[in-house]
Amino acid sequence: MLGFQSRHTGGFIAFLIGILSLVTILYSGGVGETVAVALLLAYILNPVVTRLEYRGINRGLAAGLLLLGVLGTGALIWLIVSPIAAQQLQSMNTGNASAQAHRIVDNVQNFLDTRFNYLGLAKVDLNLEISRFKADMAERIPAALLESSISFVIALVMIPFLMFFFLKDGSQIKRYFIGLVPNRYFEFAMDLLYKMDTQLGNYLRGQFLDALVFGILTTIALWILGVPFFVYIGLFAGLANLIPFIGPIAGASLAAISVVVEQGDLGRVWSVIVAFIILKLVDDFVVQPIAVGKTVDIHPIAVALGIIVAGHFFGVIGMLLVVPFTGFMKVVLEESVQTYRKYKFD
Amino acid sequence: MTTPWDRLLGARVENGQRKPPFTAVLSRVPIFENLSKHELASIDRILHRREYLPDEIVFRQGEPGMGMYVVQTGKVAIVSEPQNQQLYEMQEGDFFGEVALLDEGPRSATAVARSSCTLLGFFQPDLFDLISRNPRLGVKVVLSVARHVGVRLRQADDWVTALTVELEALRKKHTRHEEG
Repeated sequence: MLGFQSRHTGGFIAFLIGILSLVTILYSGGVGETVAVALLLAYILNPVVTRLEYRGINRGLAAGLLLLGVLGTGALIWLIVSPIAAQQLQSMNTGNASAQAHRIVDNVQNFLDTRFNYLGLAKVDLNLEISRFKADMAERIPAALLESSISFVIALVMIPFLMFFFLKDGSQIKRYFIGLVPNRYFEFAMDLLYKMDTQLGNYLRGQFLDALVFGILTTIALWILGVPFFVYIGLFAGLANLIPFIGPIAGASLAAISVVVEQGDLGRVWSVIVAFIILKLVDDFVVQPIAVGKTVDIHPIAVALGIIVAGHFFGVIGMLLVVPFTGFMKVVLEESVQTYRKYKFD
Repeated sequence: MTTPWDRLLGARVENGQRKPPFTAVLSRVPIFENLSKHELASIDRILHRREYLPDEIVFRQGEPGMGMYVVQTGKVAIVSEPQNQQLYEMQEGDFFGEVALLDEGPRSATAVARSSCTLLGFFQPDLFDLISRNPRLGVKVVLSVARHVGVRLRQADDWVTALTVELEALRKKHTRHEEG
């Protein structure tokens, strides 16, 4: 009886802590998010600093070198990508689709008018709706990327600053917090943290690396194929790839739709679909086996439900991050229950 | 060097330098006796200082072992359960639970504080971390722990042999007594 209660109590406590942390981060404003992002980045990049330390470099210097490397790479990508991204944003806002694209959209409109007139679709001007949607996205994307210029600049300064100290003194901070645990639960806490760290570290680093590689490969492939807005679609495809089954389809659909409504080139839709199939195969058979050491199995129904709930509460970002977060919670719960059962708490 | 965290988290700082507080105790522990001052300071940084009240349990027999403890002050009893039989009493400078550094198996006995005591905990995750950051020192410590576990194993082996001989003698005596 006690075993049954303990198992559920341990899991429930871990779940509550997870939910509370998420709510605290989301509702504490910019500070919570800034610290959480810095902590996550430091956690993901920690093995690189350890590897440098292994080579005989002092940990502080190793953290500094890594930070310079990350900032340098970020600046380089910004220099290369930002003019293209700005131009694509501009064309999203003002640019006109080709005459061929207009013709295709008109054909679709005619088809809908004749076949589905009873639905009241005849009153909708598809070309006008598409232009409105693009203009709306052109406004929303920069707003989502830079919520407000001040908080963005603060985050840009604070995240690397905090990340450096988390990387350099992370073990001291961890040791301090473990030190607060009462004697009776001390070894349990050490055991649990170590196991969670091993599991989560592999999982989060794998997911991060996979999303990054898939995003870069997709951006390059779409650029070669001349797909409009390839920077934004590539970024979306990288993040969407975190969601199994639905993510890659969403990325491919977005690319195909943008080809149709911008260029009206139906032939190119096929090349986009083939490119996504090849990219997904490369991801499944090359990138994931290398990057994602250990996968966390989540049932597809749980994934679908999670996406709907997260989308309702936290929008598109919530939908994209719900799978890694569910994976995180699953590891936390499983490890908490398994470790708790090995100890004889009264 | 002191870090902002040292000040924020209340580490012991003296003349702008982080003070290694346990080095004196550590240098007397056989596992760490062949380490240099610099290496002892590295070990010092990953130790956990824990305070226990009299009769407080440090760890319980059968629970997973996470690491070893060095007695800085006070006394700790190693007790075999369920007989509650005291096997050893550890005093300042003694260490126990070192097998858990090499193996995650269950603790073979319970450790209870006999007086108010301060223990320095050295745990497996920190040892693994030390090996990945500073393999030279990590291997030195692992070798030393393995050597001490080997010594204790030999002692236990001698003890078992002596007990077996004693048991055999008793059995013979008992047989003679029954025949007579």
